[in-house]
Amino acid sequence: MITVNNLEKTYPGHVPVRALVNVSFKIPGGQFVAIMGPSGSGKSTLLHQLALLDNPTAGRILLDDIDVSTLSDHMRSEFRLKRLGYVFQEYALIPELNAIENAYLPLMLLGMKKRDYIRASTDLMVKVGLGDRLKHMISQLSGGEQQRVAIARALVNKSKILFADEPCANLDTENKGIVLRLLRKLCDELGQTILMVTHEPEQRQFADRVIWLKDGRIESEETICAEERDDALHNAYRTDETANDDQFLK
Amino acid sequence: MIGQIWNDLKSSLFLFSKYITRGNKGTLILTVLVATLAFLQINTISGILSGAVSLIYQQAKTNYVSNLVVQPGKDAWGNSEKYLTQVTALKRKIDAIPGVIASSARYTTGSIVSYDPDKTGRDVRTISWPVTSIDPSEDMQVSDISRHMVSGRFLDESDRDQVIMGREISGGFGATLEVQSLKGAQVGDEITVSYQNGVVRKYTIKGIYTVVFPLSDMSIFVTQKEMESVLGLHDRASEILIKTDESYPEQYYIDQLRRAGIVLQDIKQWKDFIGLVLGIAQSFDIIKRIILFVGLMVAGVTIFIVIFIATISRKKQIGIMKAIGMKQQIIVMSYVFLALFYALIGIGVGTIVLETLIVPYFVAHPLSFPMGFVSPQIVPSEFLVSVISMILVSIAGGFIPSWRVTRENIIKAIWG
Repeated sequence: MITVNNLEKTYPGHVPVRALVNVSFKIPGGQFVAIMGPSGSGKSTLLHQLALLDNPTAGRILLDDIDVSTLSDHMRSEFRLKRLGYVFQEYALIPELNAIENAYLPLMLLGMKKRDYIRASTDLMVKVGLGDRLKHMISQLSGGEQQRVAIARALVNKSKILFADEPCANLDTENKGIVLRLLRKLCDELGQTILMVTHEPEQRQFADRVIWLKDGRIESEETICAEERDDALHNAYRTDETANDDQFLK
Repeated sequence: MIGQIWNDLKSSLFLFSKYITRGNKGTLILTVLVATLAFLQINTISGILSGAVSLIYQQAKTNYVSNLVVQPGKDAWGNSEKYLTQVTALKRKIDAIPGVIASSARYTTGSIVSYDPDKTGRDVRTISWPVTSIDPSEDMQVSDISRHMVSGRFLDESDRDQVIMGREISGGFGATLEVQSLKGAQVGDEITVSYQNGVVRKYTIKGIYTVVFPLSDMSIFVTQKEMESVLGLHDRASEILIKTDESYPEQYYIDQLRRAGIVLQDIKQWKDFIGLVLGIAQSFDIIKRIILFVGLMVAGVTIFIVIFIATISRKKQIGIMKAIGMKQQIIVMSYVFLALFYALIGIGVGTIVLETLIVPYFVAHPLSFPMGFVSPQIVPSEFLVSVISMILVSIAGGFIPSWRVTRENIIKAIWG
């Protein structure tokens, strides 16, 4: 469950910029929410506040009923490690680590035993369709594969909330489909709460709900009906090569 | 708590190991090379200077004044006595002290030495210089001069009309100063010595020596018996040189001598006789510190720059690591380990090169200094200081840039 009350974010400067203005909403657990809006509407800023990557100017954020607005930097860091997952716009992986090492990094930081974190991350890598790419270096993976490693890393700690900031921005059609279907399945089959920022209207169909932002304010909200979602899941971004990608997460 | 620290440490080591095994090998090799060179520079030059200082001290103790010198004290009126008296009894007391290897009494008196090489009186070379007397058999135990004859032979106890002299007095034989030189006197040549008391004696040069230490090489020696006949004295001496086994500092033996009843006489340490040279040794110590500082700066700044560039170029990754919940100290520690690795490999390679190449080379081909031949002397305490300093500097060189970058805001680090 995510609860946001009167969230404000102003960037100081000669002319202060109000990036978020009085934003409030609730997201129940297990929902896939797309945050949309034009450039500069505050989408990414909102995600950064919710994922504890930045401090809001005012307002409250409750993640799983914990008021994270009051946490210290150290506790925010621990909270991110234990409870949140974040998929960046670009394939934000560590090039000196191979695919599996990138994936198990959060578990290693949590102090899990090596045997356990290798098993858990291998299972997840298999689920995201990269079982045969475990030892590949990042530079040897395609953009879509890198983004799937990033998703595996974001989920490996069994995070309850997954934040995805334009996860398909740099992907081709085929890989966009793979990543979006993967996110949808995470929500449907694992009950993952997902907040995804996107500016591509076609991607909204994969979500349960859309929050539209404009000039830092919530302009409107939209619920995606099951039929539209199913249609997107089966047909959107579909190519011959991705006809069998439903095997992921099975 | 300890489990958490251990886990953080393991995570840092994990990242560090990946920087090494999968990072840029060229950067790794170049940085290690600079660290190695800096370490070598510190220890080689310091070693040479330490070798020079050690040589000065050794020369003073072996060929100049031995470890301790007993000299006449003051009389009842506070005036300095000219000679030690009852020298035989005094020497017996000295030689009985545990740790004293030998002692040797000497007379020293002022003189004018003349040398007329072609015996025509047209080119008489004259110097004003003290003549010292020795008991040859005793002196061999407190000084190594007898083993450094470059021409002729050392004195025998029975010699009365013969002298030996250092190369700085005779001239030639590679003499470096020749401030008071006879400019080319040879073994077999005759010199005339006019003593302070008016006695004039002719001597044949029996031997010329050099210990390659100007202070020692500026001496003229006759036998003790000869000097006693010149001065008309017996059982006296201007000074007694004492050789110790150096098991303890000089002051320990001075205390022992005092306890043995040698209380009225002055007892000096070898350092008291090499004031000017000691100044050079102290200057060398200052130079060593400067070299240590400069070398450490070179190594530290290089490591700092390498880590700085590494962290700046990985700024986005560092932001991402923090975003997934990695603690700042884990990231900083990984770079500190990297810096330590550069330094430790540099120290290791430097030590191997030093011990297997540089030191053996200079031992085989020592450097020629005015006070003798110098090879690097790696003083364990100074070596340890250079190692510890290098480690501390590398820790700072790794910590400061990584700490600066990791404390940056996550958003700014990732998106600039």
